[in-house]
Amino acid sequence: MRKFTIPTWCTIGWLGFVIFLAIFGSLLPFRPWEYVYEDSLGVAPFSPGHLLGTDTNGYDLLSSVVNGARLSLFISITAVGIGGFIGAILGITAAYVRGKLDTVMVTLFNVALSVPNLVLALALVSVLATNIDVNNPVPTWRRVVVLTAALTIVLIPILGRIARAATLSWTNREFVVAARSMGMRDRNIIARHIVPNVLPALIAVGFLAIGVVIIAEASLSLLGVGVPDGASWGGMIARGRNDLEYSPHVLYVPLAFLALTVISTNHLGDVLRSSLDRRESKL
Amino acid sequence: MTRVTYLLRRLAQLFIVLLLVTFGVSLLVRLIPVDLAEVLLPVGSQEEQDELRRAIGLDKGVFGYYFQWLGNFVRGDFGSIYYSGGTEAVSARLAAAFPRSFLLMIYTQVVALAIAIPLGVISAYRAGRRTDRLIGNSLFTFSSLPSFAIALTLVIVVGVKLAWLPTLGYAPISDGIWEHLKYMIMPVASLSIGLIAVYTRLLRADMIATLREDYVTMAASKGLSDRRILWRHVFRPSSLTLFTSAALNMGGLIGGAIVIESIFATYGVGFELFAAIQGRQFIALQSLVAIIAIFYVAFNLIVDIGSGFVDPRTRDRRINA
Repeated sequence: MRKFTIPTWCTIGWLGFVIFLAIFGSLLPFRPWEYVYEDSLGVAPFSPGHLLGTDTNGYDLLSSVVNGARLSLFISITAVGIGGFIGAILGITAAYVRGKLDTVMVTLFNVALSVPNLVLALALVSVLATNIDVNNPVPTWRRVVVLTAALTIVLIPILGRIARAATLSWTNREFVVAARSMGMRDRNIIARHIVPNVLPALIAVGFLAIGVVIIAEASLSLLGVGVPDGASWGGMIARGRNDLEYSPHVLYVPLAFLALTVISTNHLGDVLRSSLDRRESKL
Repeated sequence: MTRVTYLLRRLAQLFIVLLLVTFGVSLLVRLIPVDLAEVLLPVGSQEEQDELRRAIGLDKGVFGYYFQWLGNFVRGDFGSIYYSGGTEAVSARLAAAFPRSFLLMIYTQVVALAIAIPLGVISAYRAGRRTDRLIGNSLFTFSSLPSFAIALTLVIVVGVKLAWLPTLGYAPISDGIWEHLKYMIMPVASLSIGLIAVYTRLLRADMIATLREDYVTMAASKGLSDRRILWRHVFRPSSLTLFTSAALNMGGLIGGAIVIESIFATYGVGFELFAAIQGRQFIALQSLVAIIAIFYVAFNLIVDIGSGFVDPRTRDRRINA
């Protein structure tokens, strides 16, 4: 493995920092995030007592951002993890078995991909989060579960298609043919020879997908169907949009955290992908 | 396999995909744990609701409902949106929304390609040098920003502080071309920045690969100028991935620009879809998703046919794949 460059170390550091905040943020001595500071409404960043300022409702932005990191990262990592796992199983199996199963799988992927991602996510959220009683609002935890499930479902065909394409390029390699001719079981061939080769490519795409999901969560919040009450970065951005003209920092503080995180995951995904290319070309 | 049978097979595949998409949405609509007639006509009497159930096939089960919708859809009846005071045909709303989305998509593509092609050619020509790294890094940063962040920043800076452009609404071309463009500049800018990064990268990678070909060395040793080699000999064979990707983005751009359309109140197809979901107008939702899927699939087919014309080498290769 080649040594990492300075920007790569920076992105790893930032991601580590955000993950640390997401896990241990509630244990650190931050102000409570859902507390309204009525004496300091909409103060600018770097004010005494409020490092990143407050929004016009009087919520402390530093505490909110730390708290929002938890849900934003939870939703994106869970969606990419589960979606990638299911997608990988479907894609690898389809490409390895070929035949009818492959045709069916490709058709299903195409069906899901022919609807724009955000539209699909939006439709799934609205169907899954519909209460029988219109006047009874859906609780936040259920919204989070529904949102994560919807984004997972959206990711399955995207990652599945990539897993399938990657597998196809390995199934006819000499070592796979050799393993098969020696009578190795298909299950073992997939586990020992296909998965280790497909996995790095999938992980690289997975990093890019995390960035996409973080943005998708924010977009859905902006449309009013995401996590309510500013409990995630997307929720904070949706809130900050109303204060854009007079206290723009309410929007740009969560946006900066979101953008830096997305830049980091994108960069890491790129670094991983290009390191894979290098190995391939050396062969 | 000849070309004609290949195309026929592709058409059949796409047809199946469309049927499955529309059936999937239909199923999704029926899975909602509410009585649709009650949602669409909340203040209607029992008889009115029963009549609606019969009219849209809610009394027939999943398949009956789907085929009734499909029959109407094929005949151009996309269903209605139900208000407290009456109904409005989805086709009428679509007639207003579609040109907006279509023009937004076309402008976005033209702007993105017009900027990405020169940038991609320059990056490939100066690969690894300072210009290339500058272009690559700045595009990378921009592409990592969500499009709504660019849109909101534009609204506040260009729209409110400088007051150069209107922040909300849409003007048709019949109001004058400049008036029309005034409303389109900011949405197009927010949508195209992400695409520029993608397109530049695709073109750069393909051009670098082509620049290694022997015939490029040959052209250089004949004494052709770099400019001529780049544009005449390298750009065309390298542009296939770029145009394929651009064409595949079209379907997604028509329905997928929901956030941008709602920020700028452009009210195109994406926004209609969002409004249908928010207002629980499920018949409208079904028809709109079908329309978007048809566009996506149609552009897919065009890509397939078109790439054979741009690069004859892919004709046979693809059939074997």
